[in-house]
Amino acid sequence: MNGGLRDELLEQGAAVVGYAVLTGLLGAEIAHLDRAVSIGVARRLNEDTLGILTRLQKRAVRQLKAQGYRTLALPPDSDRKKDTFVSKLYALFNHKMAATSAGIGWVGKSGLLISPEHGPRLTLATVLTDAPLTAGVPFESSRCGECTLCRDHCPSRAITGAEWSRGNPFVELVRLGECRGHKAAKRQVAGKPNCGLCITVCPYGRKIENYGNANAKRCEESVA
Amino acid sequence: MATAEKQAELLEKLKNAVIQYDEDTAKEASNEVLAVGMNANDAIFNGLVSGMVEVGKMFEAQEYFVPELLMCADALYAGLDILKPHVQQMDLGVRGSVVIGTVEGDVHDIGKNIVKMMFDVAGFQVYDLGRDVPLDKFLEEQIRTDSDLVCLSAMMTTTMTGMKKVIDDLRKKNPNIKIMIGGAPVSQDVADKYGADGYAKDATNALKDAINMIGSLKKMKDEAEAKKAK
Repeated sequence: MNGGLRDELLEQGAAVVGYAVLTGLLGAEIAHLDRAVSIGVARRLNEDTLGILTRLQKRAVRQLKAQGYRTLALPPDSDRKKDTFVSKLYALFNHKMAATSAGIGWVGKSGLLISPEHGPRLTLATVLTDAPLTAGVPFESSRCGECTLCRDHCPSRAITGAEWSRGNPFVELVRLGECRGHKAAKRQVAGKPNCGLCITVCPYGRKIENYGNANAKRCEESVA
Repeated sequence: MATAEKQAELLEKLKNAVIQYDEDTAKEASNEVLAVGMNANDAIFNGLVSGMVEVGKMFEAQEYFVPELLMCADALYAGLDILKPHVQQMDLGVRGSVVIGTVEGDVHDIGKNIVKMMFDVAGFQVYDLGRDVPLDKFLEEQIRTDSDLVCLSAMMTTTMTGMKKVIDDLRKKNPNIKIMIGGAPVSQDVADKYGADGYAKDATNALKDAINMIGSLKKMKDEAEAKKAK
């Protein structure tokens, strides 16, 4: 059943699908649902990423339930409905933790999940379950290497340049206050909080030909 | 009007949608109920609430845990939102309006929301003050809405003491008002000492109590109908 669910989700528009075993990593309220299906959808402009993710989640839930397993679907952080009962539990869970455990990627210097193929250009959602899924090989540490493009380009100087590793989860990667402050200022001026430079510049998964930028090529080499 | 079989099938579908925490099916079944012209009251009590009663049992048997309980409650609300506008006022012989809130300094409101849900289901007019509610606000709201029941919730011992003040104020103005308190630190002793009429220990107990309450409401309704039939 393992491969079946993954293949189905990939066929339906997921960019990456991974399974994780989270025993001992979850809060008491959700500890009995210790397997995770981590789903990533590639963000593209003019595409309903959230809609695709919601559909994929529902599909995974239906599949797992049909086989008699429990599920708890956790929506992407940008799509939390505040007035539902179950939204109280969302704060207990971290999509990036599930994704790193499932071997989808690591947490980059920008604090974003970086996958080798798609870089930070993924939107994540997770379905927790008690189905006996076989886990992928977890990422234990960052593979950003010497690259500091996101730190150098960050307009609010929020990125510290520290590296993530699972063994040391409390290192400050991003000074969130400054990132937030920058976005708030931007919202006042431009009406939108758009920034995302740390996503744009990340060499992982970047489609270089689309930029025609020699610099990008050089960055990719420096990472490789 | 739909056939008896169709009605039974829809009730079963509503019930299972709640047990299976399936919001989509709950919505779909509720719309079907309206489409075939079934009684919305019947669909709520014998469909959605039957499902929630079953969920309560599963929770007690530790087959379901908090996440499932919450998702089931969401599924129930998904159906209730559709059915509620079509409910005829029930002739229960009780005037139902209730003020509910989590007291000042406390932001834990899952238990409160579950109790609120059962009041919603029972057709009460619910005035939900939310969480971290200033103590004076309860009396103000009770007077404004002329409610006959006030429910207070607190999860921490530090905020629990605020309930005493609210109860004293309410009693001073209106000795006959019914007051229920709930939350982890509350016990029968505390309820007695503070002068509350009833208490529920936590979300699960509140659910059980609320189900009992609805059970007795349902009985009253049946009796009222039986009387009418005579």
